[in-house]
Amino acid sequence: MTMLEPGKWYAIAADHDLPHNHIYRTALGGHELAVWRSSDGGVHVWQNRCPHRGVRFSLGEVVADELRCQYHAWRFATSGACTFIPAQPDMKVPGTIRAVVWPVALSGGMVWTGIDPAGSPPALPTGAIVRAIPVSQPASVIAQALADTPLAGLTLIVQPQDQESAIVRGIAGDGDLARADRMLTALRRRIEQTA
Amino acid sequence: MDETDPILWNDWHPVAARCTLDPARAHHTLLLGVPIEVSIDDSGSIVAQRTDHASLHQDERHGLIWVCLGTPTRGVLPIPEADEPDRPTIVVGAVAVRTSAPRVIENFLDLGHLGYVHAGYLGDDPHTRVLPYKVDPLPGGGIIATQCRMYQPQASPAATEGFVVDYVYKVERPLATCLYKANPVARDRFDIIYLFVQPVTQDSSIAHPLLLCLPDGTSPEAMRAFQQTIFMQDKPILENQVPKRLPLTDGMELAIAADKTSIAYRRWLASTGMTWGVDRAA
Repeated sequence: MTMLEPGKWYAIAADHDLPHNHIYRTALGGHELAVWRSSDGGVHVWQNRCPHRGVRFSLGEVVADELRCQYHAWRFATSGACTFIPAQPDMKVPGTIRAVVWPVALSGGMVWTGIDPAGSPPALPTGAIVRAIPVSQPASVIAQALADTPLAGLTLIVQPQDQESAIVRGIAGDGDLARADRMLTALRRRIEQTA
Repeated sequence: MDETDPILWNDWHPVAARCTLDPARAHHTLLLGVPIEVSIDDSGSIVAQRTDHASLHQDERHGLIWVCLGTPTRGVLPIPEADEPDRPTIVVGAVAVRTSAPRVIENFLDLGHLGYVHAGYLGDDPHTRVLPYKVDPLPGGGIIATQCRMYQPQASPAATEGFVVDYVYKVERPLATCLYKANPVARDRFDIIYLFVQPVTQDSSIAHPLLLCLPDGTSPEAMRAFQQTIFMQDKPILENQVPKRLPLTDGMELAIAADKTSIAYRRWLASTGMTWGVDRAA
């Protein structure tokens, strides 16, 4: 039911989307993800769901090197293992209680993940990272539009969110973010209207 | 919307509170996906009807208007304590929640979240340990949890200090639950809070809480405000539970000993054959 290509890396956040103590929420191919940075600078991509009662991790809190669920304050280490359950503070937490952890790579100012991604993420040209633009159209429609009419000076990556929507991310080679934003919002208007 | 669930279809559900109805405009709501209109006239008589004019059963109990869309096999859940002369019934007000009705009931039964979601009111870090308690089946169906104890800094508007509160929880019908907790003044008697959840669609519901507390000088407005604060703390948590339907299959969510009531509630729902608002996928 996944719409993701196994072995491929997908960009799902910009490095600057992850200030300390923030949990960034996004979706990839129908999978909701929580992306966060621990105090050692490491970036973590998890299924956005606490294994206890299914509350979104993105509601939670980063406490030093752990993520704490907002519902019952269960704490999870960067490995995904649950380390502490306040309702039963003396219990040794069973190893089966874990967050679902996705692969992660940092490259070109982006955070990348995927299903069994192979090798390294694709190299991106130098430049400035443009504002991510969500588009209410399937990734395939957007990719086709970009192939038909390339946007000059921009290197773009399409992140499929679900069957109906995607996020366009990318690099402005000349660093002109205002121009890039105008081009991308115009693109969005065009693609969403022709649907 | 034609996946009707005979368990809920033939049961009674609240669709409105008398005190919130207005003769100037009818109240529109959904019950199990079926559009319902509730109107009150100037003389105070109330009519609930399906907008497609198919028949339904209507009743009024505990300040709430109740509807059964199918064939009722029993009456609206009785509340014996409502007849105690010194115990008023206070309608807290409806709270719409974008999740399934059983998720709302399960949250009401949950001790482990009190110290976090209701920090400073019904619990507080580090008094978050859930002490062992008992869960048993009720003879007429449903479950009862006894010997529950939680430290509460502000158990009710009248509480002047934190203390360890004794709790009993009951689930007598799939979408009706209540708790008994020690009154902060008359500690040998119980305050009672009922929660009836109206199943709107499979993924959305309306909570109708009811207070049956001993008068302790707190005005009904302050009692309502306190409970509304508590429910508003729960709402964002409930609306961020994935999936919205309560999983009934073991392994979809991981429970610990402190979750005994939740485990018993899920197993009981599974045994009833209820399908609305639950996830039975393997």
